[in-house]
Amino acid sequence: MTNEPASIDMKAIWQTQTPESLKMSTAELRQRSQKLSKKVFRRNLREDVAAAIVVAFFGYCFWSFHTLLLRLGSGLIIVGTVYVVYQLHARGSARVMPPEMALHTCLEFHIKELERQCDLLRSVWSWYIAPLVLGVIVFILGGAVAQVAASPGNVGRAVVMFSLRIAFVLALFFGTWKLNQRAAQRLQLSIDALMALEKESK
Amino acid sequence: MSAVESIPTETSKQDALYQEINLNYGAALERLAWAYEADRESCRDLLQEIHIALWRSLAGFDQRCSLRTWVYRVAHNVATSHVIRDRRAKSRTFVSLDALDVEPNTNDAESAADRRRTLDRLLALIQRLNPMERQVILLYLEGLDAASIGEITGISPANVATKVHRIKNILVRRFHEGRHDK
Repeated sequence: MTNEPASIDMKAIWQTQTPESLKMSTAELRQRSQKLSKKVFRRNLREDVAAAIVVAFFGYCFWSFHTLLLRLGSGLIIVGTVYVVYQLHARGSARVMPPEMALHTCLEFHIKELERQCDLLRSVWSWYIAPLVLGVIVFILGGAVAQVAASPGNVGRAVVMFSLRIAFVLALFFGTWKLNQRAAQRLQLSIDALMALEKESK
Repeated sequence: MSAVESIPTETSKQDALYQEINLNYGAALERLAWAYEADRESCRDLLQEIHIALWRSLAGFDQRCSLRTWVYRVAHNVATSHVIRDRRAKSRTFVSLDALDVEPNTNDAESAADRRRTLDRLLALIQRLNPMERQVILLYLEGLDAASIGEITGISPANVATKVHRIKNILVRRFHEGRHDK
């Protein structure tokens, strides 16, 4: 690294700065490390609790409704929710840093991290949207059928309400998918640039 | 000294290594965290996260690389993860050297650059760089040579030298213009 471009001694300036210091004994570190694990556990628990509320609600629907479609829809939503939570845990939505990270260069680690996130976003259809969308559609359909059965004279109104609800749900899921795809595309650009750099460096 | 105390256990080795790191690299780690996170509270959180990750990782330290390489890899990897998370949360964008090189500088001119101001400019510029280029310049500023930076980052030494040279040129040009980054 020759050809120092000017008289500014950046290294000296940089190394003489004295940011706020963080002194921790190893006992304190151990304690904070456990705290961090607990924090990740609590974050995962929050997802579990939210899922449990959904499961409890549709479990109640399954139990109290007697039409086939409403029960089928409730059952599918419960299964879908459990699958989504399992995927969130398996894919590590909240996690502590892996201890073996020092074995990877920063470039390898950075690419892996971005790929992990990109994969999560790109496959949102298969692990988040698809497991839920079918159950929701069947549930809404079950609601419309039950409405028609209760007042056969209002078929037109039931069809309109059904269409509006389905359109809203599909728009919501489509929006979620689209946003995730956009974010994945942005990440992919960064991954491509890093991979090119990695290739160049070999 | 008791018999138990005289036999070094894995945990005590881990603790001893951590203390060695704290002594030799503590200040560098603080500067590193500061370069990744401008917000004071978040900076403390990041620094704490780095220390915890380092201490945890030391249980697996097998001297396949030097302790210095190990420390910087863990620290930069943790900080990079932090930046990626943060970027998504705050929708921040980072720039490459190419973008910085051609970016017009519209700030008011200043007559002299004292040490503090120079450091602020340096930090402001580093905090805008994308993580890879940030790693390179930070390791350079800590006094590592191109080969060591290459070993830590995975970029070839020639590439490291080019990046450092370009970053320095941009910085120096801006200082000489008497302007600074937002």
